[in-house]
Amino acid sequence: MTVCNSRLFSLALFAALTMVSSAYASAFQAELVDAAGEPLGDAVITLRGLADSPRAPLPVQMDQRNQQFQPHVLAVRTGTSVSFPNSDDIRHQVYSFSPAKRFELRLYQGTPSEPVLFDKPGLVVLGCNIHDWMLGYIYVTDDPWFAVSDDDGRAVIADLPAGRYVVTLWHPGNPDLLPQVAGEIQFDARVSSQRFVLGSPGPAEQPAPPAPSAFGEAFRKAAEDAAK
Amino acid sequence: MLRSSFQARIAGVLILLLLVVIGALYVAVKAATNVAVRAQAQEQLNVGSRVFGQLLAQRSDQLQQAAQVLAADFGFKDAVASGDVPTIRSALVNQGARINASAVFLLGLDGSLQVSTGLDIDAEALARLGRQLQQPRRDGPRLFLLPIGEQIYLLVDATVSAPLPIARLLMGFAVDRAFALQIRELTHLELSVVARRDGTAPTWVSTLPNSAQRLLETHVEAVGAMPQHVDDDIEHYLSQHLQLASGPGYRIEALLHRSLGEAEAAFAPLDRRILLISLGAMLASLVGALVLARSVSRPVRELADAAQRIGRGDYQQPVTLVRSDELGVLALAVNDMQRGIAERERQLAHNALHDALTGLPNRTLALERLGSAITAGRPIALLYLGVGNFAAINESCGQSGGDFVLQQLSRRLQATLRPGDSLARLLGDEFLVLLEHCDGSSAVASADRLQQLLLKPLRIGTQDVALDCRMGIAAYPADGDTPDDLLRRARIAMQDAAQHSGRLQIYQQGRDAAQQRQIRLIRDLRHAAEQGQLLLHYQPKLDIRDGRVRQAEALLRWQHPHLGMVSPGEFIPLAERTGSIQLLTTWVIEEVMRQLHEWDGRGVWVQVSLNISTEDLLDTALPARVDALLARYQVAPEQLIFEITESGVMLNPERALEVLHGLRRCGIGLSVDDFGTGYSSLAQLKRMPVQELKIDQSFVRELDDNSEDSVIVRSTIEMSHSLGLKVVAEGVELAPSLSLLQRWHCDTAQGYLISRPLAAEAFEVWLAQPYRFPQAEVH
Repeated sequence: MTVCNSRLFSLALFAALTMVSSAYASAFQAELVDAAGEPLGDAVITLRGLADSPRAPLPVQMDQRNQQFQPHVLAVRTGTSVSFPNSDDIRHQVYSFSPAKRFELRLYQGTPSEPVLFDKPGLVVLGCNIHDWMLGYIYVTDDPWFAVSDDDGRAVIADLPAGRYVVTLWHPGNPDLLPQVAGEIQFDARVSSQRFVLGSPGPAEQPAPPAPSAFGEAFRKAAEDAAK
Repeated sequence: MLRSSFQARIAGVLILLLLVVIGALYVAVKAATNVAVRAQAQEQLNVGSRVFGQLLAQRSDQLQQAAQVLAADFGFKDAVASGDVPTIRSALVNQGARINASAVFLLGLDGSLQVSTGLDIDAEALARLGRQLQQPRRDGPRLFLLPIGEQIYLLVDATVSAPLPIARLLMGFAVDRAFALQIRELTHLELSVVARRDGTAPTWVSTLPNSAQRLLETHVEAVGAMPQHVDDDIEHYLSQHLQLASGPGYRIEALLHRSLGEAEAAFAPLDRRILLISLGAMLASLVGALVLARSVSRPVRELADAAQRIGRGDYQQPVTLVRSDELGVLALAVNDMQRGIAERERQLAHNALHDALTGLPNRTLALERLGSAITAGRPIALLYLGVGNFAAINESCGQSGGDFVLQQLSRRLQATLRPGDSLARLLGDEFLVLLEHCDGSSAVASADRLQQLLLKPLRIGTQDVALDCRMGIAAYPADGDTPDDLLRRARIAMQDAAQHSGRLQIYQQGRDAAQQRQIRLIRDLRHAAEQGQLLLHYQPKLDIRDGRVRQAEALLRWQHPHLGMVSPGEFIPLAERTGSIQLLTTWVIEEVMRQLHEWDGRGVWVQVSLNISTEDLLDTALPARVDALLARYQVAPEQLIFEITESGVMLNPERALEVLHGLRRCGIGLSVDDFGTGYSSLAQLKRMPVQELKIDQSFVRELDDNSEDSVIVRSTIEMSHSLGLKVVAEGVELAPSLSLLQRWHCDTAQGYLISRPLAAEAFEVWLAQPYRFPQAEVH
């Protein structure tokens, strides 16, 4: 299997960072929780240093598996090409009407021929035209350092040089889906882990399939009340 | 009258009862109908409500589906996401036209109006919609009822997701009259929907007639709540209220109306049938009442007629009413009563016409039979029979004995009757035998035969009683032509018979007239004094010794206004018999005194004698009364002489002597009248305080030398003189008599020889003339 998922990718990155930390850089671990202190998955943390050197973005994948986008939240650097392989045995029509990137991949199966280039920072909401419940986010950022939290709320950025960084947080539950600036941190070897609280993220919006009409019932109740 | 009132009453009662029953029935039916109508209407309203709700739900489902179809359309999403307003609008119009939605518009997630298909949505409505959209979505489609502008809209929303929500699509239709009519079509109910907003006039949609709708609007405006009933002039509606939607500052409500009139119309045939049945029952009861009343009133009429017949005395015709009911019983009772009355009346009639003791016809019946014989012109003789000694028999044998005698007598009499003759008991001991076809003389034969039969004594107990029967006979047509006359005359004859030894007398013509005259005199005598019919005549009394007249006897005369002068010999005995003699003497005493007083005034001195009656002699108050009169008229008592009869004194000598002594004490002279006719003894005469004797004229009238009378007169004169009494001879009519009297030394003479009695004035004149003594002629 040539396609990695993001979690595997993160673990690989984490392992690599841990290995080099003793030399000049080490891995930064962020613990992301909500206002109630519960760990928050699918949260994005980005860091921008004062003296960042540009790094070439690597191509990544947004898989569709079990009629879901996989991963649910994908953070990429501006200019990254994302390919949308289809692991299901049905076809999908992935689209986005987000201003950061409008695109539509016609019904396809397998991997479409062209990956999609996300050349503008911003949030790209992904949907499937024939499966309304499919929802995915691609967070396109200019910041060089970023990670997506796992289910335990942990996000690890490997090989982060010590220094001062501006932290930005994002989660699907953010109000109006806007990123949240979380201040600055001073990263060195001693500080390997930090806890971040996302303001008031609600539960991520999930489209639901149409339910049967309940008006009749409500009306009946009103009629009965009136009859009484 | 009886019938009509009776019928009317029965009919009235029946109809009244029927009316009450029908009224109660009608009220009950009406009440039940009303309940049923209301229950039915309510049920219809409930069903209608559900149908209404179902319809709304159905419509909203359709809308929802249509909205979702559009919202899910990728092209539409694309258009929305790219903000391509013309495209969006065209898509909205297109979809709206497909499902006939009258409102389709797109709102941003913030509630701002993005695109509308011509519908002008004011800010207020938008705000309301926005607020409702903010409400957390519950399961199922959301339904919004909103007033927008002047209309009420039913809206559903659908979220345009790409795939996150980017806009809201709203589709809906106006709840307008067409919709309401559609509801009415389905439910047969009228529908009113009203949207009330603060500060704005309510928006109404209604299928009600205009008048009812206006009424409803007015009510809601005034009261603010929805009414249960809507009643306009024509229709009554039962209403069900449904609150469809409400929010800050507005409220949408629905009223389903059920026309009670329509529901009631279903029962109208029932009402009509009840009316028909009522009329029928009324008519039947009226006829029934009339028949019933007739069946009762006709026999009642018959009974009333029968009662009237009985009242008139017709007992022959019975009531012919054969019925088994109470009226039949009454008819039988009436017949019984009729028989009873007839029997009693016969008894009464018998009693009225028959004597209870003897069972003989009584006087009434006898008179009736007599009357019928007279009417028929049949000669008939009356035999009037009386028992002279009946009083004595009653005394000796007692009342029962007397009755027995009468019964025996009647039996004996009856046994002698020929066929056609009849016997009646008139009263007491008096019987009447009517002999048909008989004249007076043949009646005498019958009477004689009867008398022979009656001579045989009756045996009463141990006593033999002989009857003293007297019989009077009168005959028709000889002795009268009315029953009363005949009966009276027969009785007179019977009374006359008592005087004859044969005890049988035929009526003599004129006897009746004499008796009539007596009765009239007796009757008129009582009033003679007060009516001035009485007067006094004075007969001079001659003093034989000196040939002068100084005395007179006052004699009472009665000038009857019709019968002329009535002689004292006729009316004095009547007055004595009937007890009115005292009236007369009282009048005489006073009149004499008045006359004496008058003569005194003219220098005429007369001594007047007057007769007083036996009754006066028993009146002890007489002396005092006379004394008073003497004083009143200033008359000397010596001028008065009261003449008394021996028999008068004999009746009650003690009392009479007391009165006589009283009179003597007054100074009045006393004379014994009619001396010689009674049985008085000289010894008695001696005891009486009298100064004079009057020898009765029967001794004096034809006095001659040798007769027995002369012996009596002479000896009486002598004896009287020896007793110191003066002697007056009355009835001196012949001169020789006077000579004899003079020779025998009689004191006073009175008679026609001297003068007849004269009226007062004539007497006064006579007195003034020189008297020529008749004695001279004798010598």
